[in-house]
Amino acid sequence: MTRASLLFGGLLVLAVIPLFVQDSYTRHLFILAFIYAVIASNWDLSLGYAGLFNFGHLVFFATGVYTVAIAAKTLGISPWLAIPMSGVTAAIAGLIVSAPVARLKGIYVVLVTFAFGQLVLQLILSQSHLTGGAEGMVRIPYLQIGDYKFISDFKLGYYYVALGLLIVSTLYLLWVTNSTFGKSLLAVRDNEDYARARGIWITRQRVLVLTLSAIFPGVAGGFFAAYLRVASPEVLSFGTLSLALSMVLIGGAGTIIGPIIAAFLLIFATEAMAGIRGMEDARFLIVAIGMILVLRFAPGGLAQLVRAPRKKP
Amino acid sequence: MDTLISTLLSGVVLGALYALMASGLSLVWTTLGVFNFAHGALMTIGAFVAWTVSEAVGLGLPAGVVAGVASAALLGVVVEYLLIRPFYGRPNMLLITVMTTLAGMIILEKGAQMIWGARLKQLPRLIDGEVSIFGAVISAHEALIIVVAPLILLALWQFTTRTYLGRSLRAVGQNQDAAALLGINVSFTFALAFGLGAALAGLTGVLLGGIRFITPSLGAEPLVKAMIVVIFGGLGSLGATVGAAFVIGLAEAFLVLTLGLYWTPFALFLGLIAVLIFRPNGLFGRV
Amino acid sequence: MSRFLEVEGMTAGYGAVTVLRNISLYVDHGENVGLFGPNGHGKTTLLRTLSGLMRAAMGKVRFDGQDISRARPWEIVGLGMVQAQQGNTLFGEMEIAETLELAAFNRRAREKAAANLDRIYTLFPRLAERKRQKAKTLSGGERQMLSIGAALMCAPRLLLLDEPTLGLSPRLKEELAEALRAISQDVPLVVVEQDVELLLALSNRLYLIEHGEVQREIGKDNAPDHQEIMDMYFGEHA
Ligand SMILES: Nc1ncnc2c1ncn2[C@@H]1O[C@H](COP(=O)(O)OP(=O)(O)OP(=O)(O)O)[C@@H](O)[C@H]1O
Ligand SMILES: [Mg+2]
Repeated sequence: MTRASLLFGGLLVLAVIPLFVQDSYTRHLFILAFIYAVIASNWDLSLGYAGLFNFGHLVFFATGVYTVAIAAKTLGISPWLAIPMSGVTAAIAGLIVSAPVARLKGIYVVLVTFAFGQLVLQLILSQSHLTGGAEGMVRIPYLQIGDYKFISDFKLGYYYVALGLLIVSTLYLLWVTNSTFGKSLLAVRDNEDYARARGIWITRQRVLVLTLSAIFPGVAGGFFAAYLRVASPEVLSFGTLSLALSMVLIGGAGTIIGPIIAAFLLIFATEAMAGIRGMEDARFLIVAIGMILVLRFAPGGLAQLVRAPRKKP
Repeated sequence: MDTLISTLLSGVVLGALYALMASGLSLVWTTLGVFNFAHGALMTIGAFVAWTVSEAVGLGLPAGVVAGVASAALLGVVVEYLLIRPFYGRPNMLLITVMTTLAGMIILEKGAQMIWGARLKQLPRLIDGEVSIFGAVISAHEALIIVVAPLILLALWQFTTRTYLGRSLRAVGQNQDAAALLGINVSFTFALAFGLGAALAGLTGVLLGGIRFITPSLGAEPLVKAMIVVIFGGLGSLGATVGAAFVIGLAEAFLVLTLGLYWTPFALFLGLIAVLIFRPNGLFGRV
Repeated sequence: MSRFLEVEGMTAGYGAVTVLRNISLYVDHGENVGLFGPNGHGKTTLLRTLSGLMRAAMGKVRFDGQDISRARPWEIVGLGMVQAQQGNTLFGEMEIAETLELAAFNRRAREKAAANLDRIYTLFPRLAERKRQKAKTLSGGERQMLSIGAALMCAPRLLLLDEPTLGLSPRLKEELAEALRAISQDVPLVVVEQDVELLLALSNRLYLIEHGEVQREIGKDNAPDHQEIMDMYFGEHA
């Protein structure tokens, strides 16, 4: 099965699912899965393709969440305008984090991006007059056209907006990774010295990749805020971070499609576990164990297992 | 004048705690080339176990301190065995172990939450009372931290420079094959480094547990601070790490005084960015 | 009585690349053995495998009657087989004295540490003059001396030397050669060496290693002349 036919088939199934799934809880899970799929697959751009360990990736999502929260609620801007805006603010966040990261190597990239995430969290907590602090913000304006609320008909509107977002984001990622730029990312990842010798400008590449991988998680964050109508610092917690990271790893880094599939698996699995009494905390623990097992026994992720085994070098 | 001295003192207390915490990270890093994200969670476990032994079981604080440090050390060895050892020799081991230890952190943190619950707990202070230093008053517990941390770090330094075992840690960190050919058991050394690093984390947890409430995420903020310290000081040497810890601790105290609690983390991060733009290997790091 | 060191049908390599094929050789009590052959034909790989740094895919290694095919490096050192690696800089941030003290790591070595240290400083006065100097600041020759000195601190019963005089100036080389001749008087050696004169001076028997195989064994009775050995070095041997 080629990637294109897999994508097309998947899309078709997702497009008709609302015909069969009428309860709003299941649809809610799909919407969450779409959002996490956007986060994880865009993370794969920096982590899997560029080999750049940006542990502050969720900052982009959080930027989107708070952009819509503040723009729509505090400033009264229409969420329809605020959501695209969050793509822009997230891109700016990407640009900011790329400034110190662009010239760093190895573990320092991890440390600085991780610290960046933590400090943005501190900023959100401390600027409570703007962000609502630890409590967060509630009653954020929702999506509607005319009198039609997107929450109605069992979240039908939100479902299709989220699906549309995932489709656009995925096409964008496929476009980026198949471009000359995408190829040069792989060249640098696989052999930095050689790529440098070939004249690839690594600093510029890192700035670009961090910015490009920020846009759609930002938009997804903006949508998330308008959908749940809350903005909370929880989006920057270790739990969210490890959940999104495990999607990339379990799905298979450097595949784009793998993290998307893993997002669906993990959202439904963790939600199913949350339904079992006493599992609320254990589910993240189980995801973490799963991540370790995948790294140990299937380092290429599930995508590697499904794909025809490659020839040994 | 009084505020100046008390700010100085609180900066030194912070610096001492950060130094204990960061030196454990740095020890593991210099020996194995692994950055242990679970370090903060090990600290949390140390504090919880100390609380259980000392308060819940009622064996008293000294027993609690010993149990807390020992359990953290033991868990550190387990972390090395389960999360690091299987990945030795993988080409991208550095990044894989970042992810496995991050997963380890989640497991320990959620595990702590399931075992001890979310209710706030606190350890008694190691010594009661207050101490007045140049007119500024701090708790005796904090004064103890100021005294104990440098002693522990001095002992660690003596250990790594004077004893066979300590020197073997440094040897393995610099050249694994050569160390093995001198008869050093490299995998034992790895476990030892992890155990020692975790013991330092546990000790930090026990000390911090007398000042702050013990929650499952007690270690999160100190971990980030320790990360800032190692970024600032470079990961290479114990001396640079300890120096950076006190610089950050004092900077933090004075920033809190001038900018307030809310803007301090932000200012620290900005300073860090500035440092990294000009010195990508840290302020004290060798290029 | 069994042989001191015996290698039987050893095959080893890196990942999918096989470097050594079916190597068999031995060292008897009281003899020194030399290994030689063209560059890149597996001498270092052989010594690394003997020391347990890599595991042989096939074959057996016995040292002093014990099977060490699966033993780990520190266990092998504990038994008394010690190696000074080719071109090794040991621990750049450690001082000479510290390195030598550390090198007496196992119990057997520790008992003889003081005596061995004296002997090493006598053998290599350059090291004695630079006790507090860090390894990374040493010259190539001094590094070799430190490397050999550290191996001696392990109280070897059999010393493996991998190209001890590689890349040294003639003067330093002579200094080192003299020390090696002295060492060979009381510690049995397995030595890889490019300098034919030195190799012949140090060893009783030679093995030619080519393409990862033992091509030829040369004892006193079938000793070829100097020119012939030179040819073998440069791979003229078919
Ligand atoms: N780490 C490694 N990975 C893959 N191949 C290796 C590795 N180390 C050595 N080799 C290969 O193994 C072969 C034998 O190398 P080895 O170093 O054992 O040769 P040598 O006889 O010691 O050479 P020299 O005289 O130059 O020291 C060479 O082809 C080399 O390229
Ligand atoms: Mg060699």
